[in-house]
Amino acid sequence: MDLLLEVVITFFAILGFGVIFSVPKRVLFIGGAVGGWTWFALQMSLQMGITNVVATVIASFTAAAMAHFLAKKLHIPATTISIPGILPLVPGSLAYFTMLAFVEGEYITGLENGVQTMLQAGAIAAGMVLALSLFSFGKGIGNRYETGN
Amino acid sequence: MGAKADKVMDVCLRAGEIMLTYGAETYRVEETLERMARAAGFTNVHCFTTTTGIFLSFEERKGRGDLMQMVRVDDRMQDLNKVTEVNQVSREFTSGMLTVQEAERRLEEIYEAKIQYPIWVIHIAAGVAGSGFSYLFGGGLFDLIPAFFAAFISSFALVEIEGYLKVRFASELAAAFIGSASAIAFVMLGLGNNIDQIIIGSLMPLVPGVPLTNAVRDLLSGDLLAGMSRGVEALLTSLSIASGVALSISIFL
Repeated sequence: MDLLLEVVITFFAILGFGVIFSVPKRVLFIGGAVGGWTWFALQMSLQMGITNVVATVIASFTAAAMAHFLAKKLHIPATTISIPGILPLVPGSLAYFTMLAFVEGEYITGLENGVQTMLQAGAIAAGMVLALSLFSFGKGIGNRYETGN
Repeated sequence: MGAKADKVMDVCLRAGEIMLTYGAETYRVEETLERMARAAGFTNVHCFTTTTGIFLSFEERKGRGDLMQMVRVDDRMQDLNKVTEVNQVSREFTSGMLTVQEAERRLEEIYEAKIQYPIWVIHIAAGVAGSGFSYLFGGGLFDLIPAFFAAFISSFALVEIEGYLKVRFASELAAAFIGSASAIAFVMLGLGNNIDQIIIGSLMPLVPGVPLTNAVRDLLSGDLLAGMSRGVEALLTSLSIASGVALSISIFL
């Protein structure tokens, strides 16, 4: 029940962000729905006992994959959906507590939180990389050697 | 240099300028411009884009009439609707549904247009986004109200201060300071329980979501220069937000 309320609140918060970034009106609600799904995926993964970073990778991957899929269907840039989609994962709370710890002079706590923030941000990026490589499959150019095929 | 080549060059660079200003990824700008120039019948098309400028060169005829121009992009704003519309124009131009003149007219319309929502709707949306995130980060239902007003105030402060200050990081610092100060004030007046979550909510509208996502995308597609500079932009924005909050916390708490 709590989770349902959280998903609804995420949906509206992401709608707000959609307006801030001025995404096209026809994908505003799609972005909100993807954002709600992202939060749901994150919480479900956490409940299944997966660690925070891996859960973030899973949620970010599903959001970015949905964004790429929908972008192809609707002929719009993928960022208009993927930016709202991954926003629920932004470690804003962790970043804030990092800053707070440094202000109060608790440097060890600050470093701990800082490393966790960086890992979480890296996990979001990793999920996006996975989705991007999935959706550009077959367009490889061979980066290191010219093998001639 | 033929008149058509000159026109196509202008149209392409205008499209690129709009896309880059309003938050498109680097690879999208390069690909769009190269496609449009090829669709207009030019050969040897090359485009090089960084975060702050676009270079485009092509040949009118084989071995003759080489053209090269650049535009400098100073402003970096966020309006993904304009990116989508330019994308649509380039798609129609490439498939031959638009002439050069029509494409130019459409691009000028997009360039002149204001953002699709009135500014007060954006402030309210910032309030909704901020209060939603304050709940998601562990605040209570009662904290939604002060978080809404605090996020509204920080979004309002950002837009107002940006009209006066040229350095964008300074206006973000000031907006974060004002937003978190008003969050602290609300809690001191007895409105709201979890001060940390309300402050986080008031900051969420300032988060540099577009540069951050684009930095990752640019680095992945091999635009290392553009990716690094965008990443640094996002980092500087985050740091100035953090310093604004740190300032208000050390003064008022």
